Amino acid sequence: MSKNLVNLNVNPCKMCMPMGSVSAFYGIKKCMTILHGSQGCATYIRRHMATHYNEPVDIASSSLTEEGTVFGGEKNLIKGLETLIKLYEPEVIGVSTTCLAETIGEDLKRMIKDFNETHPDYKGKIIHVSTAGYAGTQYEGFFQALRAIVEQVEMKPEKHDGINVITGMISPADTRFLKSVFDSMRLDVVLLPDLSENLDGVHQPVYNRLPQHGTSVEDISKMAGARYTIELSTFIENEKSPGYYLEKTYGVPLIRLNLPVGLRDTDAFLEALTKTGAKVPKALIQSRGRYLDAMVDSHKYNAEGRAAIFGEPDFVYSMTQLCIENGLMSTVAATGAKCSALEDKIKTGIAEVGQFMFNDHFVIAQDTDFDHIEQFVADTKANVMIGSSDGRRIEEKMGVPLVRCAFPIHDHIGGQRVRMLGYEGSIDLLDRVTNTLLTLKESSYRETLYDKYYDETRKAPELKLVVGGKMSIEEKTKKHPCFNGCGTGYARIHLPIAPACNIQCNYCVRKYDCPNESRPGVTTQTLSPEEAYKKYVYVKEKMPNLTVVGIAGPGDALANYEKTRETLQLIHAYDPDVTFCISTNGLMLPQYANELVELGVSHVTVTLNAVDPRIGKDIYQYIDYMGTRYTGEIGASILLANQLAGIKMLTEKGLIVKVNTVVLKGINDAHIGAVVEKAKELGCEITNLMQMIPVKGSVFENMPLTSNKEIMEIRKQNSAILKQMYHCKQCRADAVGTLDNDESFSLEAESEAWKTQVTTIDVLSEKVSDTPVKPALPLFAVASKGGILVDQHFGHASDFYIYEYEGGTVRFKERRSVSKYCDGSESCDGNGGGKNVKMDQILEAVQDCVCVVAMRIGEAPKRKLMEKGVKVMMTYGRIEEVVDEAARAFRSERAI
Amino acid sequence: MSELKILEERKSFIQYGKNQSDGCGSLQCDSDSLSGAVSQRACVYCGARVVLNPITDAFHIVHGPIGCASYTWDIRGSLSSGSELFRNSFSTDLSEQDVVFGGEKKLGKAIEELVAKETPKVIFVYATCIVGVIGDDVDAVCKEAEAKYGIRVIPVKSPGFSGNKSYGYRMACDAIMTLIRPHTGPKKARSVNILGDFNLAGEMWIIQNYMKEIGIEVVSTITGDASYESLIKAPTASLNLVQCAGSMTYLAKQMESEMNIPFVKVSFFGIEDTSASILRVAEAVGTQENVNRAKALIRREEAKLKGFLESRIPRLTGKRAAIYVGGGFKAISLIRQFNAMGIKTVVVGTQTGKPEDYEIIGTLVDDDAVILDDANPTELELFMREKGADILVGGVKERPLAYKLGVAFCDHNHERKHALAGYEGVINFTNEINSSMNSPVWQYLQVPEFLTEEGEHE
Repeated sequence: MSKNLVNLNVNPCKMCMPMGSVSAFYGIKKCMTILHGSQGCATYIRRHMATHYNEPVDIASSSLTEEGTVFGGEKNLIKGLETLIKLYEPEVIGVSTTCLAETIGEDLKRMIKDFNETHPDYKGKIIHVSTAGYAGTQYEGFFQALRAIVEQVEMKPEKHDGINVITGMISPADTRFLKSVFDSMRLDVVLLPDLSENLDGVHQPVYNRLPQHGTSVEDISKMAGARYTIELSTFIENEKSPGYYLEKTYGVPLIRLNLPVGLRDTDAFLEALTKTGAKVPKALIQSRGRYLDAMVDSHKYNAEGRAAIFGEPDFVYSMTQLCIENGLMSTVAATGAKCSALEDKIKTGIAEVGQFMFNDHFVIAQDTDFDHIEQFVADTKANVMIGSSDGRRIEEKMGVPLVRCAFPIHDHIGGQRVRMLGYEGSIDLLDRVTNTLLTLKESSYRETLYDKYYDETRKAPELKLVVGGKMSIEEKTKKHPCFNGCGTGYARIHLPIAPACNIQCNYCVRKYDCPNESRPGVTTQTLSPEEAYKKYVYVKEKMPNLTVVGIAGPGDALANYEKTRETLQLIHAYDPDVTFCISTNGLMLPQYANELVELGVSHVTVTLNAVDPRIGKDIYQYIDYMGTRYTGEIGASILLANQLAGIKMLTEKGLIVKVNTVVLKGINDAHIGAVVEKAKELGCEITNLMQMIPVKGSVFENMPLTSNKEIMEIRKQNSAILKQMYHCKQCRADAVGTLDNDESFSLEAESEAWKTQVTTIDVLSEKVSDTPVKPALPLFAVASKGGILVDQHFGHASDFYIYEYEGGTVRFKERRSVSKYCDGSESCDGNGGGKNVKMDQILEAVQDCVCVVAMRIGEAPKRKLMEKGVKVMMTYGRIEEVVDEAARAFRSERAI
Repeated sequence: MSELKILEERKSFIQYGKNQSDGCGSLQCDSDSLSGAVSQRACVYCGARVVLNPITDAFHIVHGPIGCASYTWDIRGSLSSGSELFRNSFSTDLSEQDVVFGGEKKLGKAIEELVAKETPKVIFVYATCIVGVIGDDVDAVCKEAEAKYGIRVIPVKSPGFSGNKSYGYRMACDAIMTLIRPHTGPKKARSVNILGDFNLAGEMWIIQNYMKEIGIEVVSTITGDASYESLIKAPTASLNLVQCAGSMTYLAKQMESEMNIPFVKVSFFGIEDTSASILRVAEAVGTQENVNRAKALIRREEAKLKGFLESRIPRLTGKRAAIYVGGGFKAISLIRQFNAMGIKTVVVGTQTGKPEDYEIIGTLVDDDAVILDDANPTELELFMREKGADILVGGVKERPLAYKLGVAFCDHNHERKHALAGYEGVINFTNEINSSMNSPVWQYLQVPEFLTEEGEHE
């Protein structure tokens, strides 16, 4: 048992004794209550009760002042009694003490005796009850008042046929229910107290400030002569129990029962009532059946519940019991009152449900507060709370819904009408709890399951663009040495498949092939798409950190579009996770942008040296576009328009675009900012401002070099506009490896190896063979329609699941549809099933196998198969199991 | 209350245990329901709607009087990662006037309204019974709308009387083919479509996660969590996985013959089937790497389940189950899952099982088990009582019947809110069986003595 061990009660789960005491007096006819103490007690209690019951609650106070506190409050109390008699004319007055009155030692008994003597005109009954706030909670206070009532009312011990029923603080609606049961069974019952009307009054033309209903003093006096008393309280101690007093003093037998909540305890209550000889009416038996039906109807929903129940001990017990019989795990049962008996009473029941639900995590707590309850709710993952509205803070904070069904309910209306007693009350309450669980599920399961199962990486819209890949562009970018900032760890390969170019830049000559030279446009040799594919496969196997395939020339990737496409398709078929990176001058970009996206290209670099054709005309000698050569400003204009349109198309599709700009002294060095601005506007990720490498024979061969310092300065200036690339190595068109370690030349030496060892694939074929052509392997055929079990007769077979045998184990190869082996005759219906399929087709479908497994097979086809050397197995079972069995047989046969 | 009787005409649809005689299964099945016998089967429209409904961004217009649209409005637990459009129910709500003078105009206007207000990519128009009778040319209206608005408007020929639920599946498959046929493309290696999972409680996502882990790309999901955009990519997959064979084999065969995409049947219900299916996919389209990953996944998940099952199964062993579900495949799968738990299946029936399904069923159950085709409530009641079933697995309609008989119930239907597929599904399925069968409520069904002996008040 978890007990509140700290010295601080945080957010109390209980109220004080006077609260219970005045509530009990509200069930006495024409009774008015006065609290002997300072003013606040009465006011707070009235406020609490008024919002719960939605009724006017009048409680007088002796309004002790400082003087009264020091010299005794008798004067105040007498004045108070006089006044309330004048105002209310009550027939019964309940005088409850408070902390203050008890602590200063007020002798109520004497004071009231004196009052009666000094006020002979007053004929009513004054009942005093000692209820110091610190002596217990409202739960004890309630019974304390009832005990005082039966002790102080003059009893008439003459025996009669009636019985007594004593309750704790149940709702007015439940009280009415009890009375209706007594009526329907024609029982003579004194019900103490009777809150049915006084705290749930009807609307009437004239309001009467003095409660007119409830148990009368006359009825109470008959309690001493009753046949027996039923006291509906699980935990109340003998010293506070009115029933115990009646038994000890007047010999009225006491039957102590739990509140009639749920099937078991309502049965027990009704059975106790039948001891009078009364019969249980049909309507109640019907509602019992209806409750059973409700239990069954909702048992599966309740099995998903984890309830946190809190409140007065009797409520917690009965509510927990209701949950137990409905298989609803109560993971928290907590009361603010001191009640060490609670745990023993409910532990076994909860543990049994826990065993059923495989959940042994529950807490039973007494003398606790909401600070602890909140912790318990979280620890035990409770998904519904049942109790007073004081749980609303936890509801708000943790999103655990609260069923408000115990005193006090401040934030809902109808506290006075809450039902939980009897079969019908149990249905009401159970339905509320079950529906709360259902609402919670209905409103959250889509989101919960989405969060649980939906893979976020599949959600990224960019992924749609990356054909076949399972990595998002973000992931790819992280593994791309040119984009991840430092280039370490991941390798790239530039495949030189694009020899042709469609523009002539004044800084470029592509004819050089010098292994010592490393710069864009340079390669040792160009490759065909198939060679490129082989090279990739070869390198990938040696270099698992190879993540990026770049097409960077030596010409323009898009001027050689057919080759680029074929290369990418081949490689993609081998490695769907590969990142494709394309470099282009952008001239053909608008034409191919969409196709690049379809091919799975995620990164594109566009060389954009100027965004003004007047500058561009000095950089480009000519462009070849749509069969025409353009020069000067016109050429530069066409190029620029296509570059801008193309970049826009790519970025709109979510691709990562890098802009490369060669800084050319005296030509575009003052224009760089404008280029970077434009790149940003178009949605590019990064710009790479590069030094020009002067090449002999080029127009700009004598242009002065931009120094490292200068280039760094320009990059820094522009980094305010857009991310800059600082680590560009200006790689060759056939670079391989990490940025720091180009291995293209060592690979060159192995070119024979990759050209011969790697076999080609057909991109359109369904399967990638990653090993050289295999010899034909022994095949096993299983007749199966459902694909899980051997479930077809050989003669009816529409499908065979074919397994191949290699190295002692079998592996699924393919499903063969018999209809595919159609000979073209009329019997082939294309549906592959039924009687029309010819045996010949079936035989044809399996004739290359070493063994056929079917549910059954006729003698004739069996013979035919045997003739062809095909073994036959007749069996039921899972495909994998029977194939394993067949393979074992095959193996042992081979061994011989 | 009249005595429970088996109708003479129904006797041939019922069989005790495995049929020993000719091995071809003498149980009558695959025929029309007996009128008036309260069949549990549904109609063509139902079958078509079940299959197409999970397409999340489609407009489903039910052309006919309102009932059909009303009963199928958001009643299934298919989840979406995108649009929630499919959870609406659109209907032309035909009136008497329309029935007399024809509903084509109203349908045309309905589509026009929709196009004006929304931006549909695809509209499915379901022809229901009345439309079939009054002879609206739904095809023509759809064709015209396609031409006029440049979107896909696809008729689904599903008048209820034109066949049974299975026929509705075929009509839905035809509609899907109509949608995807124009979108061919090169096949992607190591990629699959998943057919016949409707993403109930996220089951499609669970399967997709397995595929992702073993390195197989899922191109298109049909139809759980599908969208127009994802569906039209379907022709580029290199293999179709067929999960709900009953509804999707027809589509898989069409895709095989027209698009050259082979298919294999798989099942992600139960540990054995899930593991076998995952491995088979890897072997069918993957490399050794994919196979290795599949094996690792299977090993890990099976190990995770071991302890769970060891604690649960003792509570379940020895109990008796009754099964009444739609297709034979599902019934077989359930019997096997029950067998794995030590639960004996004593009554088993399907709405649309085929002769060979019943033969397999015969081999999986004991000789005294009752096998039924197209059973009615009276038969279910009779046999569940006779055989002392502890739990029934069935559709929503069967649930209250089980409860009235004091029999636990497992919701293995399209309204479920927890996944039953995959390894996770094994946990949920086991928990559900336990939570119903072992619920404390069953122990209260006896009426106490003081209520029976002393009788009623009057």
